Amino acid sequence: MTNNALSLFQLCDSNFPTGSFSHSFGLETYIQKDKVVDAETFSGWLKVYLHEQLAYADGLAARIVYEALEQDDLDKVWEMDRILTVQNLAKESRDGTQRMGDRMLDIAESIYNIPILSAYRKRLKNKQSFGHSAIVFTMVGHYLGVEKKTTIVYYLYSTIAALVQNAVRAIPLGQTAGQKVIYAFQEELKAAGDRIIGLDEMEFGVVAPGLEISQMQHERVGIRIFSS
Amino acid sequence: MSEWTGILELDVENRQGRTVADNIYFQGAFKVMRPVYFGKNSYPCYYLLNPGGGYLDGDTYRMRVSLGEDSRLTLTTQSSTKVYKTPKSYAYQETEFHLKKNSYLEYLPDALIAYKDAKYIQKNVVYMEKGATLLYSDIVTPGWSPEGDAFSYDTLRLKSEIYMDGELVVFDHVKLQPEQQNMTGLGFMEGYTHLGSFIVIGEKTDDALIDRLYEVVHAESGDFEFGISKLTVPGFTLRIIADKTQVIERVTAACHAAISEEWQQMKPSFLRKY
Repeated sequence: MTNNALSLFQLCDSNFPTGSFSHSFGLETYIQKDKVVDAETFSGWLKVYLHEQLAYADGLAARIVYEALEQDDLDKVWEMDRILTVQNLAKESRDGTQRMGDRMLDIAESIYNIPILSAYRKRLKNKQSFGHSAIVFTMVGHYLGVEKKTTIVYYLYSTIAALVQNAVRAIPLGQTAGQKVIYAFQEELKAAGDRIIGLDEMEFGVVAPGLEISQMQHERVGIRIFSS
Repeated sequence: MSEWTGILELDVENRQGRTVADNIYFQGAFKVMRPVYFGKNSYPCYYLLNPGGGYLDGDTYRMRVSLGEDSRLTLTTQSSTKVYKTPKSYAYQETEFHLKKNSYLEYLPDALIAYKDAKYIQKNVVYMEKGATLLYSDIVTPGWSPEGDAFSYDTLRLKSEIYMDGELVVFDHVKLQPEQQNMTGLGFMEGYTHLGSFIVIGEKTDDALIDRLYEVVHAESGDFEFGISKLTVPGFTLRIIADKTQVIERVTAACHAAISEEWQQMKPSFLRKY
């Protein structure tokens, strides 16, 4: 691992304070419906979330943004911020990614002096952009010279690790069971990374209907420990 | 693409309080019937029809509809859209809507039925000005095969983009590819077979309306799951999964009725199909 990859790894830490601990992205709906009850059913949910939603949205957006940064095509970056936000039709999840993006941008800006982060901040202030952690993360990865696929896979890892931590609290699972899920997901993350690299841009934003409905339904679930 | 299988252009405008067609043009395998003004409505309902009965391999359809300021239009189909098998290529339909300020469009096509081995791509793009209202629904069925198997089609891709004053405000991309996806599984169709969407954009959307829609949908019987959520602009998406087209139609119609009552103090017309 290069020093730069190590730097990017800081953003993957589930303790990195973006507020990811308060978002389940519809998982809580499945828990309340007793569809996710243990490590096995949780892994099933997580696979669908990773491969059928995250890959097409955040993952593909991260790749497109990385490539746009390589070509210094900022318009494309801002376009991805907008499309990544508006394709998310479940309000809580959408608002959640916006808040997390805002927080990640804050912290990243305080650590790094990267011009594009300041430009992103300015656009957020002027309400020209929404803010998304996948985009902030990619900006930092690109700045640090971490390779494209590695940046994408690290981002996916950070999201998956945070969701496992949330599942440990909510289902609940033992900490060891949680770590076993993360370990088992290494192959899934690699597969997702490979696939995202090869995806046609036209595949962006494909919906997994059940996941999306559960994310919308979360607005009305009875007892909630998560904001999405 | 210069050689379209079917082209349809329809422009409507408000003339002294009544919406009338300013331009209608169709060519090839795409037609509209004479407009119907239901009851005392001051705006027309147009029925689209496909004289060929369905979309064939390589067919391309283009529809462009414009609504002038303060005009109103209901657009529906005469029957379900059938896409037959496409062994070589795919069937394609693109639709573009232009909605001027304070115009009101209801685009409520019938269900999509894709036959075994069919590939279909649909692209809807809506350009609306602030103050315009859009109600758009669609239903995707599990299709048709001689053996009666569900999900025997190859690929369905339905993309919708909605721009308001030039900014993208909604992007929806449904792609169903039964060979590649665990169609009925968790996170996907959750054991159901039919997928319904109802996207509504209107400045009067507020939390009270969303609450009312929840009540309306909960009052509907039948086996289905649904979600309602607000957009980044005043409006919402309703997504439904069910086992029957009729259930989705009923739920959508109930929401449509509630919206018409709240926003227009009127009941939507029953869209007679001939």
